[in-house]
Amino acid sequence: MGMVRPDIGSQMVDLCAALLLVSCFAIVAQRRLSACVDMFALQSAFLAATAALVALLTGIHHIYFAAVLTVGIKVIVIPRILKKVVERLNVKRELEMNVNIPAGLLICGALVILAFFIIRPIIPLGFFLTRDSLSIALAILLIGFFTMIARKKAVTQVIGFLVMENGLFLGATVAAYGMPLIVELGVFFDVLVAVLIIGIYSHRIQDAFDSVDTSKLSVLKE
Amino acid sequence: MTLSLVLLLGTPILSGLGSLMLRDRRVVEALQYGQAAILLAAGALVVREVGTGAPVTFGLLLYTDALSAWLDLVLAVVGATGTLFAVGFLGEHLDRGLLSVRRFRQFFCLFDLFLAAMLVAVNVADVAIMWIAIEGSTLAAALLIAFERNKAALEAGWKFMILGSVGIALALFGTIILYFTSEHVLGVTSDALRWPELYRIASSLDPTAIKVAFVFVLIGYGTKAGVAPMHSWLPDAHAEAPTPVSAMLSANMLTVAVYAILRFKVVADRTVGTAFTGNLMIGLGLLSVAIAAILLLVQRDYKRLFAYSSIEHIGIALIGFGIGGAGVFAGAWHLLNHALAKSTAFYGAGWVLLRHEHKMLDRVTGLLRQMPLAGSAIVIAGVALAGLPPFGLFASEVLITVGTYAARPGVAYLFLSLLTLAFATLLYHVLRMALGEPTEAGRAVGARSRVLLSAAIVINLSALGAIGLQIPLDLARMLEAIVRLFDTRVGIP
Repeated sequence: MGMVRPDIGSQMVDLCAALLLVSCFAIVAQRRLSACVDMFALQSAFLAATAALVALLTGIHHIYFAAVLTVGIKVIVIPRILKKVVERLNVKRELEMNVNIPAGLLICGALVILAFFIIRPIIPLGFFLTRDSLSIALAILLIGFFTMIARKKAVTQVIGFLVMENGLFLGATVAAYGMPLIVELGVFFDVLVAVLIIGIYSHRIQDAFDSVDTSKLSVLKE
Repeated sequence: MTLSLVLLLGTPILSGLGSLMLRDRRVVEALQYGQAAILLAAGALVVREVGTGAPVTFGLLLYTDALSAWLDLVLAVVGATGTLFAVGFLGEHLDRGLLSVRRFRQFFCLFDLFLAAMLVAVNVADVAIMWIAIEGSTLAAALLIAFERNKAALEAGWKFMILGSVGIALALFGTIILYFTSEHVLGVTSDALRWPELYRIASSLDPTAIKVAFVFVLIGYGTKAGVAPMHSWLPDAHAEAPTPVSAMLSANMLTVAVYAILRFKVVADRTVGTAFTGNLMIGLGLLSVAIAAILLLVQRDYKRLFAYSSIEHIGIALIGFGIGGAGVFAGAWHLLNHALAKSTAFYGAGWVLLRHEHKMLDRVTGLLRQMPLAGSAIVIAGVALAGLPPFGLFASEVLITVGTYAARPGVAYLFLSLLTLAFATLLYHVLRMALGEPTEAGRAVGARSRVLLSAAIVINLSALGAIGLQIPLDLARMLEAIVRLFDTRVGIP
C-alpha cells in the first residue's frame, strides 16, 4: 500500500465500484438483448478492474487470480455462450416487460438507497480501503434481483442472475479482500455450470413452447 | 475412524460417475444396489462414532458433529431407499419404452451426484464450501426436476432454477457478511470461515453484522427449504419431477437447507441471543404452516398434496428450533421422522403413478384393495404425517405445541388450530384414496420393479415404526448433543 495514499486508494476503489453500479442501470435501461449481454461483459470488466486494484493496493496476491478468472469466465466465456443462445433463439428485443424502463430505473434508484440504509450500521467494521463499496455491492445484488423479476425473456433473467453474482463477487472482494481461493474457484465453477444449464433450458423451453418468453410458462397454476 | 465418512461421501460420487461411463443397464443397476447398501452401512457407522462423543474431523476439510451426523442419518437412509425406488421406477419406464438406456444412465449420474452434493454440504467444516455444495445440489436438482422434458416439467424446473439461484445468491451474501465480521476478529485467514472457529469466537462478533447476515441466510436458504412466502417453486417441482426425485427433494434437500439455517443460528445465537433468530424462525414457520394448511384443502393432485404437507412440516420444525430448548430436540426429531414418512408417501404415490399414469386425486380410490403395499404405505405415511401416534411426528408436534404454549399461548392456539386443519385435510384425502372400491384398472407394474419398490417402502416403514415406539439410545445421545449445541450457556467442544 506504500505507493498510494490510503484515502486516494479508497476513492479509486469506490470509483470502480460506482462504475459497476452505473453499468447495472445501463442493463436495466436496455431493450436489445445482445446489448444487454455486452453491458454485462463491460460490467464484469469493471469488476475485474476493481479486484485487480484491491489486489494492487493491499498486496494480497490471490485476488489477482480471481480478477483473471473474472476476465476469462465472465468477460469472455459467459457472454459468448449467451450471444450464441440469443442468436439461436432468434430473439432480438424485449418488447414487453413486467415493469417499463422509466419505472424500472426509479425502482433501482430506490434499491440503491435501501442498500445504503441496510449496510450503513456495519460499515465502520470494514477495512478503510474498501468499506464504502459494500453498500454498492448490495445495491448491485438487489438490482440484479429486480431485473430477474421485471423481465420476461429467459436470457434477460439469466443476465439478472449474473448481475447478482457480480454484486456478490464485489461484496466478497471489498468486504473481505476476497474469499479464500478454493471458495472463489468453486463459486466460478458453479456459475459457469448454472449458465450452461440455463442455456440448455432455454432451448428446451423454446422447443416446447415455441417461445423463450417465460410468461408463457403458465401450465402450472393453483 | 474417518473411513465411514469417506465411504459415505465417496460412494455416491463414484457410482454417479460410473453410471455415466458404463453402458450396460445391469451394471448401472448393480452400482446403485451397491450404493444403497454402502450408504446404509456407512450411515450407521457414522452415527455410532459421532453419537458417542466428540466431532469426527478429516483434516481441515470435514467436520462432523452430532448435527451433521443427524443429517447423515437422514441422507443415508432416505438416499439408500430412494436409490432402490429410483431403480424400480426408472426401470419400469425403461421396460415400457418411455426412456432410453442413455437417459437412464444420465438420470442415475445426476441422482447420485445430487445426493453426494448434499452429503458433502452437511459434513464440511467451511461455511463457503457448504454453500458451493448446496449450490451444486441445486444445479443437479434443476436438471432432475425437468427430466421428463414435457411443458409442465420444464416450467417447474425453470421456476426452481430461477428462485433457487436467487435464494442461494442471497445466502452467499449472508455468508460474505459473516466472513466480513469474523475476519475482523480472526484476521484474513480461511479459519474465519470454519464452523468450529466461528463457534469459538461467536461472542466477540459484531451483533449488527450478524443480524444482517442471518436475515440474508434465512431468506436465502429458506427459499431452498420451501419456507413461505418463498415456497412457490416447491409444489410445482415436487409434482412434476420424477417421483424418486420428489421424494429426495422433500426428504433430503429441504432438510439440508434447514441444516444450513441451523448452523448459522448456532453462531448468531451466541452473538445476539436466541430471541432474534427465534422470533424470525417462529414467524416464518407459522406462516408456512398456515399457507400449507389452507392450500392443502384445494389440492387435486396427490403429489402436490404431499408437497404442501412438506411445507407444513418444515414450518413446524422451524417453529421447534425457534422456541429452543426442548423445541430443538423436537425439531431435529421432526426432521428425521418427516423425511422417513414423506419419502414413504412419495414411494407409494410413485407406485400409484406407475399403475394409473395420472396424478388426479379424485380418480384414485380403493388403493388398499388394488395395491395393498402401496396403499398401506400411503395410509401409514399419511397417518404419521398427520401427527398421530405411534409415530415420531406425534411426539415432536406435542413437544413443540407445549413449548410454544409456555412461551406464547396465543401462538400455540393458532399453531394448534392450523395443525388440526392440516391433519383433517390430509387424513381425509389419504383415507379416501385408500378405502372403497378401485374404479380404474390401470396398468400392471413389472415383477422386478415391484420387488424394488416394496423393498424401499418396507425399509422406510420399519425404520419409521422402530424409532416411533422408542428412541434408540444412540439417537437419544445425538439429540442431546444437538440440544447442547444450541444451548448458548454451554461451550462447544
